[in-house]
Amino acid sequence: MLTLLRTFSWQEVLHHPWRSGAAVVAIMLGVALAFAVHLINASALAEFSSAVRAVNGQPDLELRAVSGNLDETLYGRTAEHPSVAVASPVLEVSTYALDAAGSKQAVKVFGLDALVAARVSPALLPVPDHNQRDGGKESSSETNKENNARFTLFSASAAYLNAAASKLKNVALQDPAKPSTVIVMTGLRTAQLSVAGTVAAGGGALAVMDIGAVQDLFGLQGQITRIDLRLAPGADKAALLRDLALPANVQAQAAGDAEQRIGNLSRAYRVNMTVLALVALFTGAFLVFSVLSLSVAKRAQQMALLGVLGLTAQQRLKLVLMEAAVLGLVGSALGIALGTALAALAMNLLGGDLGGGYFAGEAPSLQWGPLAALVYGALGVAAALVGAWWPARAAQALPLAQTLKGLGTAAQRSKGVMIASFLVAIGAVFTWAPPVFGIALGAYMAIGLLLVGGIGLLPPLVALAYDRIAPLVAARPLPMLAIERARRVRETAAVAVSGVVAALSLAVALTVMVASFRTSVMQWLDVVLPAPLYVRTASSSAAAQVLNFSLAQVQAISALPGVARVNGLRTLPLQLDPAQPSVMLVARLLDNPAQDLPLVGDLAAPASDVPADAIPLYVSEAMVDLYSAQKGHIFKQYMPLAQGNAAQAATKLIVAPSYYVAGVWRDYARQFGAIAIDQRDYVRITGDAQVNDLAVWPQDGADAGALQSSIRSYISSQFAAPANGVAVDASKLVEFASADEIRTLSLQIFDRSFAVTYWLQAVAIAIGLFGVAASFSAQVLARRKEFGLLAHLGLTRRQILQVVAFEGAAWTAIGSVAGCALGLVVSAILVHVVNPQSFHWTMDLTVPWLRLVLLCLAVVAAGTVTAWLAGRAAAGQDAVLAVKEDW
Amino acid sequence: MAYALPTLAFPALALSKRAFTQLGLATGAAALLPNAHALPERSLVFPRDHGAHPDFRTEWWYITGHATTTAGRELGFQVTFFRSRVEATQSMQSQFAAKQLIFAHCAVTDVQGKKLLHDQRIAREGFGIAQASPLDTDIKLRNWTLKRTAQPVPGSAQASATPALGYQARVAAQDFTLDLSFTETQPLLLQGKQGLSRKGPDEKQASYYYSKPQLQAGGHITLGGQRLAVKGSAWLDHEWSQELLHPEAVGWDWVGMNLFDGSALTAFQLRRKDGSALWTGGSFRATSSSGLQTFIAQPKEVAFQALKGWTSPTTGAKYPTEWLVRTPADYYTVKAVISAQELDSRNSTGTVYWEGLSDLFDSNSKHVGRGYLEMTGYAGALRI
Repeated sequence: MLTLLRTFSWQEVLHHPWRSGAAVVAIMLGVALAFAVHLINASALAEFSSAVRAVNGQPDLELRAVSGNLDETLYGRTAEHPSVAVASPVLEVSTYALDAAGSKQAVKVFGLDALVAARVSPALLPVPDHNQRDGGKESSSETNKENNARFTLFSASAAYLNAAASKLKNVALQDPAKPSTVIVMTGLRTAQLSVAGTVAAGGGALAVMDIGAVQDLFGLQGQITRIDLRLAPGADKAALLRDLALPANVQAQAAGDAEQRIGNLSRAYRVNMTVLALVALFTGAFLVFSVLSLSVAKRAQQMALLGVLGLTAQQRLKLVLMEAAVLGLVGSALGIALGTALAALAMNLLGGDLGGGYFAGEAPSLQWGPLAALVYGALGVAAALVGAWWPARAAQALPLAQTLKGLGTAAQRSKGVMIASFLVAIGAVFTWAPPVFGIALGAYMAIGLLLVGGIGLLPPLVALAYDRIAPLVAARPLPMLAIERARRVRETAAVAVSGVVAALSLAVALTVMVASFRTSVMQWLDVVLPAPLYVRTASSSAAAQVLNFSLAQVQAISALPGVARVNGLRTLPLQLDPAQPSVMLVARLLDNPAQDLPLVGDLAAPASDVPADAIPLYVSEAMVDLYSAQKGHIFKQYMPLAQGNAAQAATKLIVAPSYYVAGVWRDYARQFGAIAIDQRDYVRITGDAQVNDLAVWPQDGADAGALQSSIRSYISSQFAAPANGVAVDASKLVEFASADEIRTLSLQIFDRSFAVTYWLQAVAIAIGLFGVAASFSAQVLARRKEFGLLAHLGLTRRQILQVVAFEGAAWTAIGSVAGCALGLVVSAILVHVVNPQSFHWTMDLTVPWLRLVLLCLAVVAAGTVTAWLAGRAAAGQDAVLAVKEDW
Repeated sequence: MAYALPTLAFPALALSKRAFTQLGLATGAAALLPNAHALPERSLVFPRDHGAHPDFRTEWWYITGHATTTAGRELGFQVTFFRSRVEATQSMQSQFAAKQLIFAHCAVTDVQGKKLLHDQRIAREGFGIAQASPLDTDIKLRNWTLKRTAQPVPGSAQASATPALGYQARVAAQDFTLDLSFTETQPLLLQGKQGLSRKGPDEKQASYYYSKPQLQAGGHITLGGQRLAVKGSAWLDHEWSQELLHPEAVGWDWVGMNLFDGSALTAFQLRRKDGSALWTGGSFRATSSSGLQTFIAQPKEVAFQALKGWTSPTTGAKYPTEWLVRTPADYYTVKAVISAQELDSRNSTGTVYWEGLSDLFDSNSKHVGRGYLEMTGYAGALRI
């Protein structure tokens, strides 16, 4: 068998290197893409998780408030419990640092007790700078310096920065001996901290300080964010929690919850990316199918001869499968190498999330593992084997005597149509399947089945179409020849264009899905951005918790000349479920929710079981899926909103008002849920009148520039200069954005996150066209006798090539129509099943017909040119001679 | 004198040994205190002065002793609580502000097993987790405690006998547990000038310092999972200061010995880098028919002479484990009961010193007492 592989099969490769090459390239590209996406995902997630682990440490148990901070007194009683080996209090504040250029950079400030944190979060431990702790000389002043450095750890102004944050420090150039400083925002003020050393934690910019210092710095006395617990050996977690009698607002999270949250955060995105990448491999399998089908057809006589010489049917099957396995192996090996290179390149260019925006601030290193490489390599080989199965069966079933006589194989595919129809039917059923662990597995299965089934239905489709077209072109010999051939050898035609159909259908599906998404996002932006101008203190919602406008400041801004109206927006993250990312609470003025929110469906009147004084909430679609919020009904999740300080609320029992779901709205910004509440209700419940964002309506005719500068100068006047007199450009502390700018930026981000899908489409189509090229080259060679005959009948070489080109057009045309139709079905599944199941949002199906038509025409044109080029290359030699050979 | 050096509980902060020795003792950043003054002589007031003195930079309560199990196994033990004031945080608002650090070392010497077990802890004062009462000796560091209490007189026939004053120490270390009570058998001993003890050539190098020798110890020591009933004798030092170490001092040697006849010997020297004595001091309290008589050593009356050395296999530091100590009372020889009593916690706190159970011999080579020898500043510069 191996001998045959070396002689018989190798000869085929030598004679038609480009054909086998195409199959290898297809597998290579598929494996490369899938592996690259896997590598990027794994690397980004590993990097992000390790940063999260570093920051969160490895506690056995973590106590956190559902929203806001904990009361610090909880720390004392927790630490004193005999089951607790180590209790490490942490106060975490998201804010901004001002870099050397005076612009804002997000930074997280961690306050911790370095004396206890060592055993829980070693990566956050301060490491004093060498030059600060090393005295060297014997004099007592040096000694004092050392000792001061020692206790610097506890001082109110010492900060220890990680690698990302150390880029934000200001080095005192005139006096290198002076410690460098970093300026952080505390509310609308700044504080200058001295950089006393470093911390090992990776990830985004973070600064570690003493927990007392952070409390003082941000005015958070009495508050801590979390308590990390290491339990004593053999301690019973449940008994400990019972003893501690945690207030309702405090959650005890097991280790791993945070990582799971991180995993959840981007899982849907990662899975969808992986599926898209596997699509390329899927297309590769089709290509192997068409290459091997044609190669088997072409070598039918040789195979029959081998059969007569003793090669059994089973051995012929094996031989073809082995050929495919070799192609698959070579392709996979190349693919793994290419995938690694692609991943490295993409991560440098696009970042670890391929522009998806999930892992901000990460610069991951490539997580290359042999196991993953083996798995993806095996997938490539498997794809090749699957593609080779039908040709192998054809080789097995070769009628030896007939084939040797050159009578060819009669097409006998009546069963195929049945199977294909069955697959399509099953696929349709799968679209109704619920998601599995938040992944739309059923829908992906449905897409796969529909594609395979749809391509299986190609031959009858070809017959259907060309039986009707044939009479129309009967009078024109060249098109007639092409159409008649496509009609008569429709099985071969279907094989040749199957790759194109697969690729095109996926390209169409993605195009439609992205277009639908983009249109829906644009409509959504129109509703969520009613005001012409926005002013905000923080562009990240976490940082928004420390950077606020007070009620008085909002009123003062609305009284500025040129301002017609100002609305404030308060956002607040709520941790409703420890295993899920936070839900965002948005408190804003909702005079007319039907207009102010992009509602899905109508507002609901409260159901009969809703108390009369229940407060209306408007939840995003994700809340319906993730928290079973039901329109018109009581919102059952505990809402941690309370009068006064959130830290107090976390430990004191309060009579919580009841809430009901008055409406469901579409939210593309917060995949994990958002709750809108009327600001008046929010202020009444919490007494918190601060806001993060301002929506500003200028008066008619007001000059936008003048308005901005008057708001800026007001904010500067509110801004207290730091005691040390560092000049800070106060106006840089807030950001202005017009609705248009936000819209443009949002769409830019959108396009960036989908950029990679366009790239995938291009690759898939390229692979499909490879298939067309390979098929036609093979065809033209196989049909040299036929062309010779045509030449004898008087057709010029040019005309023969025209026939080939016509055939290309005819085949790819039917392929385009089929691909487009299949693609529309797949896009409907993506829009109506995959997106709601993966991302918990819906969108309206928008079909960009013009683009689809252009795409199909491009494919037909490319197919025609490909066929012509392939024909020219293959029929280079004198076709007349080819006829002579045989006669 | 005790080894009073706060090394914070993480290796990253490991300082050179020299810097380390001065830490807490010399935290007196002169700039922060308007002139590091000489401490005034004053009469100590009890029980107030048994409590913590949070205005002083450094303070420790230090109990050493030896004990015998009912089966005759010999053990040495050491429990020390330290308090360190952090000047830089005094004006902070937060309850978390590390205004005072409380830390503790404890060790058990297993004489038969020829090994030393030790453990240490540190925490900032607050939240009921760590505290040192300013009213009386009442110190807590999570579940490690030292408290001055009334003790039932051990061995007293009548249970109703007036309880004597004493101490209760409970320490659950990683490898052992100490649950010991200490009963006073003698009045306290004021070191130096009525409790003001000079520690260097400058007047400001001084501490308030009293000792309680000849404490009667009893209770339980859990070792290797075995809870052993023990009896023995112990010594308590309580010392607080603003600035102790002269800049030239690199370490010190100290002995506190309970003599079998009820007498008590204290002797210390502060060493320069070359090993010469920068300052020496000590006291001898003799028992006689007329009662207790205390002799305070004048400068240079005490002298230490190293006789035999032992090199630590783990740190490479060379410690004299046998000393000839000249005092106004006698020429004594101090011999470590076992050599391997170095506390090497470079992996956790970064501190290295020698602190161990030792025997006392008089000039006639008669075994006259037992107590503790402490030696600091011998380990080379540390970098972890």
